[in-house]
Amino acid sequence: MLINYIGAFIVMILGLYIMMSKKNLIKIVIGMSLVDSGLNLLLVSVGFRPGGTAPIFITDLKPGAFFVDPVPQALTLTSIVIGACVSALALSLIIKIQEKYGTIDADKVRRLRG
Amino acid sequence: METLKSLFYILIFPGLLFSICFGLILSGIDRKMVARMQRRIGPPIMQPFYDILKLAGKENLIPRVAAKKTFILAPLIGLISVITISLFIPFYGIYFFSGQFGDIIVILYLLTIPAVALIIGGAASGSPYASIGISREMVTMLSYEVPLVIIVLAVGAKAGIAISGNVTFSLKVIEDYQKLYGVNLANLATLPAALAFLFVIPAEVGTVPFDVAEAETEICEGPLVEYSGFYLGIYKLTQAVKMFIMGNLFVSLFLGGINFGNTILNVLFNILLIILVIVVSVSFVRSVVGRIRIEQTLKFFWTIPTVLAVISLILAYI
Amino acid sequence: MNYVSSLPIIAIITPFIGAFLIGAISSNKKLLPAMKGIAIVSSLVSLVSLLFLTKPILLEGKVATYWLGNWMPQEQMAIGIGLEVDSFGLFTGLIITFSSFLSSIYSVTYMKEDNALDKYYTLFLLLLGSMIGFVLTGDLFNMYVMLEIMTFAAISLTAFRNNIYKSLEAGFKYIVIGSLGSTLILLGTVLIYAQTATLNMAQISALIHNNYTPVTILALAFMMAGYGVKAFLVPCHTWPPDAHMSAPSSVSMLLSGVMSKTGIYGFVRLLYMIFFSVGMAKMELLIILWGTLTMIVGASMAIIQTDFKRLLAFSSVSQIGYIIVAFGVGLSSKSSIGVLGTLGGLYHMINHASFKCLLFMCAGAVLHATGTTDITKLGGLSKKMPYTTILFLIAAFSISGLPPFNGFVSKWMIYQATYEAGYAPVTIIALIVSVFTLAYMMKLAQSVFFGELPKKLEEVKEVPLTMSITMGVFALACLVEGLFPKIISKYLLEPAAYSIYNLHNYIDVMFTKGFAEKMFKNKIPIPNMTYEMAGYWRPEAWFVLFIVILIGFIIGVGISLNFVKKNNIDTTCNFGDKYGVFTGGEKEEFAPIAGGDLFWGLRHNLKGYFGFLEKAHSGVVNDYVTWVISCTAVLSIYLFAVL
Repeated sequence: MLINYIGAFIVMILGLYIMMSKKNLIKIVIGMSLVDSGLNLLLVSVGFRPGGTAPIFITDLKPGAFFVDPVPQALTLTSIVIGACVSALALSLIIKIQEKYGTIDADKVRRLRG
Repeated sequence: METLKSLFYILIFPGLLFSICFGLILSGIDRKMVARMQRRIGPPIMQPFYDILKLAGKENLIPRVAAKKTFILAPLIGLISVITISLFIPFYGIYFFSGQFGDIIVILYLLTIPAVALIIGGAASGSPYASIGISREMVTMLSYEVPLVIIVLAVGAKAGIAISGNVTFSLKVIEDYQKLYGVNLANLATLPAALAFLFVIPAEVGTVPFDVAEAETEICEGPLVEYSGFYLGIYKLTQAVKMFIMGNLFVSLFLGGINFGNTILNVLFNILLIILVIVVSVSFVRSVVGRIRIEQTLKFFWTIPTVLAVISLILAYI
Repeated sequence: MNYVSSLPIIAIITPFIGAFLIGAISSNKKLLPAMKGIAIVSSLVSLVSLLFLTKPILLEGKVATYWLGNWMPQEQMAIGIGLEVDSFGLFTGLIITFSSFLSSIYSVTYMKEDNALDKYYTLFLLLLGSMIGFVLTGDLFNMYVMLEIMTFAAISLTAFRNNIYKSLEAGFKYIVIGSLGSTLILLGTVLIYAQTATLNMAQISALIHNNYTPVTILALAFMMAGYGVKAFLVPCHTWPPDAHMSAPSSVSMLLSGVMSKTGIYGFVRLLYMIFFSVGMAKMELLIILWGTLTMIVGASMAIIQTDFKRLLAFSSVSQIGYIIVAFGVGLSSKSSIGVLGTLGGLYHMINHASFKCLLFMCAGAVLHATGTTDITKLGGLSKKMPYTTILFLIAAFSISGLPPFNGFVSKWMIYQATYEAGYAPVTIIALIVSVFTLAYMMKLAQSVFFGELPKKLEEVKEVPLTMSITMGVFALACLVEGLFPKIISKYLLEPAAYSIYNLHNYIDVMFTKGFAEKMFKNKIPIPNMTYEMAGYWRPEAWFVLFIVILIGFIIGVGISLNFVKKNNIDTTCNFGDKYGVFTGGEKEEFAPIAGGDLFWGLRHNLKGYFGFLEKAHSGVVNDYVTWVISCTAVLSIYLFAVL
């Protein structure tokens, strides 16, 4: 499924571009979560096997049943949870920064430098 | 018997007694030569002895804002480390505690301790003149460490590759190399390194033109401004013994390997060469030039002696 | 040589259980001493269980394995998560638990005036548990999960004091750059999984060896850049100066001294085990160049700082450069030199943990007593806090490498290793950076501890006893490691270095014997390593020094007993005062020289260089992200050209 891989890499590159060039702090956090989404898409596509079904034991197992790879799906679940936590933590820090600095422009939130 | 011999080496020769006496004599000879070159008569050669004895009798003042224990300990640590270095440099054919693998690196490390002791002593005295003095001392140390390291590496590479195929850090191997191939000063590959080392000696010892850390006229002796009495005497002793060890290091790195067959004659010849080296590198320069500024020191040491030493390093591998 | 035990599991799970217990009772404010007790007891239990593991693993050379849930491998394919503890993992684990235990005792007194302490202890135990889990595991995705928990706990602890603006800004920058690093590591893991269909490190190293496809090379580049962010190598080093400056000191010492070691642990596992590259000259050149760049940039930035903890963070960056250079020499194909490099790198890891923790504890003591870390406002604290001054001087001499402290031994090994491997310019640069280290440590000593006491700081007091005891333990460790290098090398370092090179054993204990030989088609020789290769130590020299010191001490004490009564006559006149400092006639408070000006001459001379470095650390988040991405790009291009 080549288009999955290409799509995942394009989403990641777009997310990295946002992180590198946008100055609003919330836009940087959106870029971070775009990178996470691209990575999750890549991770799920790695486990695809053409012709397989979902890896769930509905009835008892027949020999010759063909599943897609279940391990990347477990890894993706972990990664989605971690991405949500990162976004939550970053956004809460932005709220406190707005209280202290009065602005959320990355060019003005730079008192620690040099 | 072994411990008795070790104690003799530590206390009499070339340890405590010999290095202090000979260092003070060297300092006296240096002052006399400078005075004669400037058409004066100058003090007698034993004058530094009288200076130290006079200082030992004066009152020791410790300022109120000084950190007392550090203030007292710093000069002692400087003197102890300098005397320890003098035990590691051989005379012709006599090795006291050296001859092992990593001599020169130990000497280089121990050579930074007297400068650090000066800095700590100045810092502990709590005076603003001392602060300026120690920042200048720190920058001077930064500037002369670079060519010194490269010189040592160049000489070690040249001697080690010829004898054992691998670079050496031992003074014994360097002397063996000079016994076989002639003195290093006559060798075209290590001659630039010898010239660079002659530049480094006044900076290490702390005389004009590189004594910007202890400039008497500008910052009232720099880190030593609050020292008086016996502790000032110890700092002056440290400077004198450093003259001795730098001369001895030059002789064993670049003029070694000469053997007359008689121990006493070897030692006397070594002493004569040390006096000659100190006169050439310290006195000749001191009598004619003035003091240069700190940024000129940095720029000088990172260009001319470094380039000479790097030339020597490259020639050692060809 | 297999050894199945449940002690690693106990070491990992206990801090997590402690964290959840504290979280469960956190609503009851009166149980705060119980929470502190739970924290200290959990870290003590982890330390003790790892100490019990030293006898089989370090002394006898076995490897402890444990398959979680008892999912043993079927038909030579691993299907469960496996813990595998060999000597290198145990060595790093001991450093982590020892430092965390002392930090938990230190933080009891240090954080007394903060509120929300229940959350602090929860996060602290989470940090500890995830660090131990990262080091003891043998599964690639498990490492990523533990790394993420570590990052969260560290970010929350950095932004803990959220009434100060510095913590918030530092926390935000840390979370952006840190999550970028973790994303790169996960990307590398995904690509490796796509190629080999397994996540067990032993099996991956068996399958990848000697058949490098473009996918695996890209994975190597991403993972190296990701671990470079965690172990702060240039140019991914821009988050630690902000983060270590703003965190509370009992946490900064863990972030700076210990978390960097886990980053290096990951790096070493990557280079020596997963992508086995011992003997490849191009990889050796890359790692040594990278380490040298880190050393130089770290030391140059440290000289021009004006904040105590920010300067210490930059000096951490520069010391990590030393360790990376040493491990780069360990990749050399001449085995005796390579072993010396690895031994030097391991020794510098444990030394750096000791003196960096001690330095941050001194910074914490100064902050606790005076309330500021700006060195232009401090001065002359040695009269009020003498104990802290002595410990700070011990740590400053260790980090610059003066004998007889521990920095001398490890830096000597690194110099010798780089010179014998043929990289003489690197030795020269390392020596010059060592002198720079001495320079900025003296600058700190002069401006914080010596000099003149400002009027506002007249009533500072010495630190409480709990903090002094923990600082004293670290200082004792510095001294012991410097005086007895033979014993430490024989019991701690050589087993760890042996297990780094001994890839066959690592793979064999997970599967059956002989599995690695089938995969590798040749046996990798393990070089003979003893301590005598370092060859500099002469015990007679120290006997000499001792006698000379004794004589000097006798003379000094004799002289100073002469004037014991002439002290501190308090006169009110400022002129003609025999015990005041000489200021040439001016009043004393108009002639101060602050420590920040100590190197203004050097800074003015090289103002092009220092100005460029200052502008490069601009403080804007986007620039820092650009640095990391460009580093990744350069790495991938280089690796594709080489492999």
